[in-house]
Amino acid sequence: MSLNIYGTRLNSRLLIGSALYPSPELMKNAIVASRSQVVTLSLKRQNPQQQGGQVIWNYIQQAVQENQGHLLPNTAGCKSAKEAYTLAQMSREIFQTDWLKLEVIGDDYNLQPDPIELLQATEMLMADGFKVLPYCTDDLVLCQRLYDLGCQVIMPWASPIGTGKGLMNPYNLETIRLRLPDAILILDAGIGKPSDACLAMEMGYDGVLLNSAVALADNPVKMAQAFANALEAGAKGYLAGIMQQRQTAHPSTPTLDTPFWHQG
Amino acid sequence: MIEIRINGEPLSVPKGASLQQALREYLNDEQQQLSFAVALNSDFVGKSDYESTQLQANDSIDVLFPIFGG
Repeated sequence: MSLNIYGTRLNSRLLIGSALYPSPELMKNAIVASRSQVVTLSLKRQNPQQQGGQVIWNYIQQAVQENQGHLLPNTAGCKSAKEAYTLAQMSREIFQTDWLKLEVIGDDYNLQPDPIELLQATEMLMADGFKVLPYCTDDLVLCQRLYDLGCQVIMPWASPIGTGKGLMNPYNLETIRLRLPDAILILDAGIGKPSDACLAMEMGYDGVLLNSAVALADNPVKMAQAFANALEAGAKGYLAGIMQQRQTAHPSTPTLDTPFWHQG
Repeated sequence: MIEIRINGEPLSVPKGASLQQALREYLNDEQQQLSFAVALNSDFVGKSDYESTQLQANDSIDVLFPIFGG
């Protein structure tokens, strides 16, 4: 089961973040265990005297290489289209990729994306040749506008970043799937447990992007494997065709020739 | 000399200095080999333009390095 990101076929439907792990080594091991072929990372100011960033960068590169994967730089921390555009250009030079997880935050309390700045940034970036993967809310019209701007991949949130609350509004998410049948939809942010990811896949989502749920688990490597399995189960379930729910009970064991029928 | 800022820290460079000169002042030889990208006054400047970009007083340079992210 493959995922298509702007023409690139990937063997895994899981996109994984590289932040918040107890150690860089554990981060690498968890990413490898997840079998994810897309790893998100960022750019930050660093004191050049501190080598910590370089160590992390080396581990990220090793993990990506081992999974034959790709880097997906983000624009975390940006609050305007202009900031996101500058950071995207910097990322493209360093990471040599035109893929971009576009984040433009509009509220510090719940880290909710700013839809207006997001659309503006998307327009600027698409015009400059970027392949934008916008992180957005589960607003149907916003997703439609992003798709109209040329985003082949759209990433609505399940719930606010890092909350682990899972799918806050399944109705909205299902509606987006229904109304944008040709878009690649990746559920991003707020995933807490493997069953959340499985549920998204059962809805027909194409993939899931997560970070905290693996990084903050007691055993990140085991949790990464659990998510890989959950995505595979959900995607297979969706493709297999899930039965319609029914209002009344129907016996699954045939009633004909039931033993002891009408006895006593 | 003129005063500029790199990653929020004050730095004095000769009048007419290039962005490349300021980066050499801020990063040692080994650090200059690392992966980093630069913005001047919030606008991206590509590596090929470091030498030809002349700094002005109160310019603000951001030097960013790869780091983990979600």
